[in-house]
Amino acid sequence: MSTLSRDQIRAMMAEVLAAQGKQMPGDDQANLEEIGFRSLDFSELALRVEDEIDEELNFDAPQLRQIATVSDVLDFLEQLQAA
Amino acid sequence: MSDTTAPIGAATVVVVSGGSRGLGLAIVDDILATGASVAVFARTLTPELEALGSAHPDRVHAASVDATDRQAVGAFLKAAEARLGPIDALVNNAAIGQDSLHVHTSPDDIARIIETNLTAPLLLVRAVLRRILAKGNRGRIVMVTSVCAQRGYSGLVAYSATKGGLDSAMRTLARELHGRALVNSVAPGFFASEMSSVLGQTQLDTITRRTPSGRLVEPQNIVPVVHTLLFDDTNINGQVITVDGGGSI
Repeated sequence: MSTLSRDQIRAMMAEVLAAQGKQMPGDDQANLEEIGFRSLDFSELALRVEDEIDEELNFDAPQLRQIATVSDVLDFLEQLQAA
Repeated sequence: MSDTTAPIGAATVVVVSGGSRGLGLAIVDDILATGASVAVFARTLTPELEALGSAHPDRVHAASVDATDRQAVGAFLKAAEARLGPIDALVNNAAIGQDSLHVHTSPDDIARIIETNLTAPLLLVRAVLRRILAKGNRGRIVMVTSVCAQRGYSGLVAYSATKGGLDSAMRTLARELHGRALVNSVAPGFFASEMSSVLGQTQLDTITRRTPSGRLVEPQNIVPVVHTLLFDDTNINGQVITVDGGGSI
């Protein structure tokens, strides 16, 4: 399975935010609630990543609830790809 | 993606499962009359559906697909989007009937009813929603369930369980997809289609007598309700709309 780099995922996350008229913060510690990145936005991002790597990234809701920052999003998608 | 608090727009490309005859075909006909495109599949294509495809070659993608064949359904959705554009709605209609007391229904038949009427629709709605979400779009989902999910009718235990399961899933999806999709069920009463033909005449006569409107439901009674859920700005979400002549009240 091919994998996307952290920078590639960050760029895709910026696309998801931009489509809603929101800006990707420069600081990866930015809080997701404050930038308006909701759980379904994470789903959209994960589906976009899946499309790129041609592999499903299924996960349970408790894992998603632990995500609070941009860095958490990037970490989690990196972990899912590596699993 | 647009503001998630804005109304979800009317459907433009609708997937209809089990759309080759009866209620499914009537829904396909209505979608086309509205000007939207339709991707329709059924186990067997009928001359009526093929005629609609010929009349609207740019707005119909029809194929013979078994709803329980996950790979075939996936390939169908991909081909439909390539031809018609992004899918933004689903009418989950395909189902098989039942006419057997639970104690006399084989385990294999129970499994088959659950696979066709519950597992396959859940996988279809999953596949459609993944396509909608991945593109940052929003959409509308309509589950065609049954009054059997609300009241007991002899001989329909597994069938009723699947329809009740779909209604429950519908409510949870409506909550889970907040802002991204309107999800509702339409629950017809018994109508004289192939689905209710599994009931005996005596049972149909009894149901008719007990229906306040005095008549069984016809597909044309259901179509306007599905139409509203697909195209109108009603803000109806997470609801089961029962169309049964008042039989269940």
